[in-house]
Amino acid sequence: MRPQFRFVFVVLFFTAVLIFAVYLRNVNNRIFYQLYTLEAEQSWLIQELTHKQLQVESLINPAAVSERLDRP
Amino acid sequence: MNERSIRSIIILFLLLLVAFLSLAGRCFYLQHVRSEHYVDLCIKRYRGRLIKTPQRGVILDSGGRVLAASNRVRTIFAEPREIKDTLNTSVKLAPIVKMRATEIIRLIRESGNPGFVRIKVDATEAQCNAARKIYGIGVQSDWQRSYPTGCLTAHVVGFTSGDNRGLSGIELRYDEQLSGSAGKNIFLADAFRRPIQMRQQSSELTDGVGIILTIDSAIQQFARGELSEQYSSYEAESAIAIVVSAKTGAILAMVSLPEFNPDDIGSAEPDMLRNCAVAIQYEPGSVLKPIIAAIALDSGLVSRYEKIFCENGDYRGTGFGGIGEYSDHRFGDLTVREILIKSSNIGMAKIGQRLGKDKLYEGLRHFGFGQKVDVDLPGEAEGLLRRVGDWNGYSVTRIPFGQEISVTSIQLVRAFCVLASGGRSIRPYLVKAVVDSKGEIVRQRESSPDVGYIVKPEVAKWIVNDCMVGVVNERENGGTGWRAKLEKWQVFGKTGTAQLAGSDGRGYEPNAYVASFVAGAPAEDPEVVVLVSIYKPNTRLGKGYTGGRVASPVAARILEKTLKYLRVPERSL
Repeated sequence: MRPQFRFVFVVLFFTAVLIFAVYLRNVNNRIFYQLYTLEAEQSWLIQELTHKQLQVESLINPAAVSERLDRP
Repeated sequence: MNERSIRSIIILFLLLLVAFLSLAGRCFYLQHVRSEHYVDLCIKRYRGRLIKTPQRGVILDSGGRVLAASNRVRTIFAEPREIKDTLNTSVKLAPIVKMRATEIIRLIRESGNPGFVRIKVDATEAQCNAARKIYGIGVQSDWQRSYPTGCLTAHVVGFTSGDNRGLSGIELRYDEQLSGSAGKNIFLADAFRRPIQMRQQSSELTDGVGIILTIDSAIQQFARGELSEQYSSYEAESAIAIVVSAKTGAILAMVSLPEFNPDDIGSAEPDMLRNCAVAIQYEPGSVLKPIIAAIALDSGLVSRYEKIFCENGDYRGTGFGGIGEYSDHRFGDLTVREILIKSSNIGMAKIGQRLGKDKLYEGLRHFGFGQKVDVDLPGEAEGLLRRVGDWNGYSVTRIPFGQEISVTSIQLVRAFCVLASGGRSIRPYLVKAVVDSKGEIVRQRESSPDVGYIVKPEVAKWIVNDCMVGVVNERENGGTGWRAKLEKWQVFGKTGTAQLAGSDGRGYEPNAYVASFVAGAPAEDPEVVVLVSIYKPNTRLGKGYTGGRVASPVAARILEKTLKYLRVPERSL
């Protein structure tokens, strides 16, 4: 290999490594953000489930049941 | 190259040198002199701080039913200082939140906070997305406390403020543990302020602990249903019902009327917020008699079978004035058992005289009067048991039939639990266990150790099985609690009708009574103790006001339902 080509190859290799490093960093950031968003979404789903559970509890607790039974 | 050109080159070179030196100087200035300022500016640009508010702990009953829990809701809010045209903003927002524009305008204009006006709590995702597009309107998520059982356990569980701080009941008593601690995270953020990397976690998010109560919602409803009916029927000022496990002291139900809805605290009157079971103290009247009799028998100063002369209904003497019987009864010689069944005041006054000040005071203190029971609820009254030095000639003859002493309902229940459990020291309690957010038990209530007898077991058993069973089952002998008799279980109990002290502190208020009844069953091996107190029943209704008439039927119905629910074996006939 001629020395000029070797130099170009090394320059290209280092450029590729730098571009790849930047790409990996971007991917990492994106994944982190996605994870964060999904965690928030999961937490909302849990909250919605809790909300439903509380609604059920308010319908089936002894006071509510008695009230419905006593209603003519 | 001529001289002029050389000079030009030199000047250009010097200019370049000056420019580079200026740049170097500027760099030095930025890097060293103003470095802190720019580093701060830079940090502010790419750092994001996030404070995660913890979820307030759940409160459960003994069967795992949710009594209080927090969940996240989306809140649509307005920022008045950013809104230029309130009318226009309100008209745009009204169809989204399904409110009238005038109502939104009123909320914005009447608010004292220029940065935040809550418009709609618990908005849907679609509503939030639409509202976000209006300038001056924002969306945030808040924790909202819910009480699915509503009024049922309101006085025990309590309620929280808008910023989720406990203000009464268990919510207040365990506020710190229920609150948990906020998590603070610092992120690296991109140009759109989206978190892209965790930088620092200054504190970890810890959700509040869960609290499991001894209350059983079903028993609570039995008590509440029966008590509410009588409370309304007698147009009473307030009413209390407490159901306690006689063996452990676990409080299975605690009802205080009038009640309030913790989900709508704004509509509650101040009187409704008071838990009468622990906060109100009153003269107990005759319900105190079995306790005094137990103290007297335990001390050996009175024997079970001796006859005490009850002065034919009129007992007078120097230093203690005159004592009569309820309803002008005239009793002659009575045993301790007969004194309790017929509820003789004179018999009890004589027992008090036999005991003397010191023994009477000491005995009552051992039963827990004049001191807080400490049932995990705030605002508990101590009751009033004056020191012996402050007693006058009347005290030793009046305290034995429940005057000159003030007690709380929970103190009375405790004292009867002592008798029901064979004289063993019992302390009623409300919190069964504390669990962390992962469901692990942090603290569990141990059952009371079998030590520390307040009175001898044989004395307690005799008072329960002979005397208090007679009060309920011997109507022909003058038993005042006959309305509480049950077919399937042997009930023991004691009635009490106390007059309320006048507001001026002298004498008693006319026609103002507290009708009480403390009962338990089955007498052979008591499982539960029930107290019912009805405060100021309306005497003008002509339906009666005594403990036997007003309170004992309620206690009986609560007992019957509770024993059936707990599957306590019925007695074999």
